[in-house]
Amino acid sequence: MTVFHFFNCAMLTFGPHAVYYSATPLSEYDTIGTSAKAAAVYLGTALVKLVCLATFLKESENDNFDPYQELLKVLINFIDVAGLYFALTQLTHRNISQNHKFQAVGLGWAFADSVLHRLAPLWVGARGLEFTWEYIFQGFEANANLVLNLSLAALGSLMWLRKNKPRTLIPIIYACAGVLATMPSITSYLRRALGWQPAKVVSFELFSSLMMAFISWQLFSACQRSA
Amino acid sequence: MAWRRRGRIGGGVEVLDSIYSVVALVLVLVACVELGDAATAVDVYRLIQYDLAGVPYGSRLAGLNHHACAPPFAPGADLSRTVVMMPVRELNLTFLREYIINNQPLGGLLLLLPQKVSNRIVGEIKSKDDGLMRNILVELEQLLIHANIPYPVYFAFEDDKINAIFADVRRSDATGQPPMAPTGGYKLVVSSPEPKRVSSPTITNIQGWLPGLKGDGDTNQLPTIAVVASYDTFGAAPALSVGSDSNGSGVVALLEIARLFSLLYSNPRTRGRYNLLFGLTSGGPYNYNGTLKWLRSFDQRLRESIDYAICLNSIGSWKNELWIHVSKPPENAYIKQVHESLSDVANELGVTIGIKHKKINISNPRVAWEHEQFSRLRITAVTLSELSAAPELLESTGGLNDTRDSLDEAAVYRTIRLVSESLARHIYGHQGKNIQIFADNSSLALNPSYISAWLDLLSRTPRVAPFLSKTDPIISALKKELSDHTVEVHVQHETIDGMFSFYDSTRATLNIYQVASVAFDLLLLLVVGAYLILLFGFLVVTTRGLDDLINLFRRPPSRKVKAA
Repeated sequence: MTVFHFFNCAMLTFGPHAVYYSATPLSEYDTIGTSAKAAAVYLGTALVKLVCLATFLKESENDNFDPYQELLKVLINFIDVAGLYFALTQLTHRNISQNHKFQAVGLGWAFADSVLHRLAPLWVGARGLEFTWEYIFQGFEANANLVLNLSLAALGSLMWLRKNKPRTLIPIIYACAGVLATMPSITSYLRRALGWQPAKVVSFELFSSLMMAFISWQLFSACQRSA
Repeated sequence: MAWRRRGRIGGGVEVLDSIYSVVALVLVLVACVELGDAATAVDVYRLIQYDLAGVPYGSRLAGLNHHACAPPFAPGADLSRTVVMMPVRELNLTFLREYIINNQPLGGLLLLLPQKVSNRIVGEIKSKDDGLMRNILVELEQLLIHANIPYPVYFAFEDDKINAIFADVRRSDATGQPPMAPTGGYKLVVSSPEPKRVSSPTITNIQGWLPGLKGDGDTNQLPTIAVVASYDTFGAAPALSVGSDSNGSGVVALLEIARLFSLLYSNPRTRGRYNLLFGLTSGGPYNYNGTLKWLRSFDQRLRESIDYAICLNSIGSWKNELWIHVSKPPENAYIKQVHESLSDVANELGVTIGIKHKKINISNPRVAWEHEQFSRLRITAVTLSELSAAPELLESTGGLNDTRDSLDEAAVYRTIRLVSESLARHIYGHQGKNIQIFADNSSLALNPSYISAWLDLLSRTPRVAPFLSKTDPIISALKKELSDHTVEVHVQHETIDGMFSFYDSTRATLNIYQVASVAFDLLLLLVVGAYLILLFGFLVVTTRGLDDLINLFRRPPSRKVKAA
């Protein structure tokens, strides 16, 4: 029964990635190579982030919210953005349209994130006899993360791959990208400083990711139309 | 293009193979991760498991893995796959007795003992509740010891966590378990290996010898007085059988008497013309088996030189009356002498000593008092005890109810005073005279902190003989203490007679998990499956169009058309 629970939570966490790949035209164009390369870039980025965190961050004894430490963490999160830039622009991809490129990169990025951050706790924890809601919440978080990463990849491709954008939309694009990049810091702020319950935090993540996805979709189709 | 693709596929297959083997290895390694993530882990103590003349008694299993439930139960409920949690405070003894006597199957039984009382009750003021609790414990113990129970029975102490869990279990039982809730109840797991027979249970007798003042003859011709106490216990939970009164009080009295006489005997001018033999025997609950083997190991001369022996048994909670138990008729000259010397001192202390005569039946293997073993070998002996009636087999052997707070230190003090004064008057020939040899505030005064410290130590140490190894710390401590007070210490190791055999596994850790019901996980599976299917449909519709979604379901018929 407990392996059953592990299976349920694993499906909830990793299922959407597989479903996204097979449902959208990504599978038709066989973009798995792109996603794999994006996952590898994520791995590299995670290592760089770890090294920076270890070097620059002080050990804090208590769980209080220290603004300077959080600011430092926000800056380090921008390394994520740099990694995404590298994955989108510098890697050589096969001939796939921009539309599909950002989706494949976003998918690979989000999948690597889920595996790295959620697989080990799931394996060790969800197989035990003890029941907690934690792993189901983790699954929801993984879903929100997928949507978030796709939007970020979309905006990233808009920013760096598309040359002619309508003037008025440029600041909005950059603002949204900024918000998306700092989303992890925002959630950790809510969890630690404001002390929100896990259920509240997860619902906030889901809601905000859907909102941002909608906004990025609008921006993308606006740029698409104008091109 | 085709050959390039084939080449890539060939290479891809090799890479895939190696990946598979690595993945398999990782899975095997990871599967060995030990899962120890219980919500609560509690120390539990198992009911004793023993065979008496081949008949099994006690709890015969140790491993436990079932759901918890709490009384009251619906009549006719099937409890064979549940662990019943019962606090002893609200125990319904008739219900339990019925269950055990009718051999009704249970998954397990967890008895919750009231929290350990950390502060001692000074004096004889004990609340009525305490007395009631002790009676319940005694009855419960007797019921469990003499029953053959085919499921695990564990004792645990109540604390906040267990009380909260118990209240939760009781509440969910009362409302009827809702099947869909994530809290499908609690699962109690004890992973303990199957209990094995203790191969050769040893009993260890410790004796100390204080030689008297040699006259012109040999020391061995001096008469000897023996003071004996058995130090081991037996109870329903062997890891909790500390036996403060039975017989920790006797042991402490013996040690204090040894200390006092070692002070007297250290100076040749005050050394008496009697040898003193102190014996700490084991095997008390098993018909004083250890005492028998100890006496048999004496050589003839020593045995003949023993004037009389005083056995101490449970002298820690009496108020005004103490009993001497004898097997020779009270009119016997020697017995009369002992009784009188004790009574004289008793009168001075303001207490009375009664005398009880119980004849020995040689054909009956039951030995109720320690002095009977002496009497069977024709040595004059008496047992001094607060119990007025002879206990049955495995009764009053220091069980669950016999803890530190059931002791009255003043009673132990009085007994030591009584015995040591009467011994000293006998040894130094001051019978009938009103001399206080061990007066308070003298250099030979009794030491209350010594008594108290030893009582505390013994009340923390469970001493069931088969589970005490030859080198157990308490045995070494008693040996060292006796060697401090006496000249010659001898330790004798024996095995318990074949009638009794014991099984190990006396304590374990209970893990309590809060589990989700299977229905919940099935529901979750359905929800997640529906979500993924919806997501799939949504994505196909938005990215490829509705036609594509419908085409997905039209593919099989079109293939059939092609085949035809």
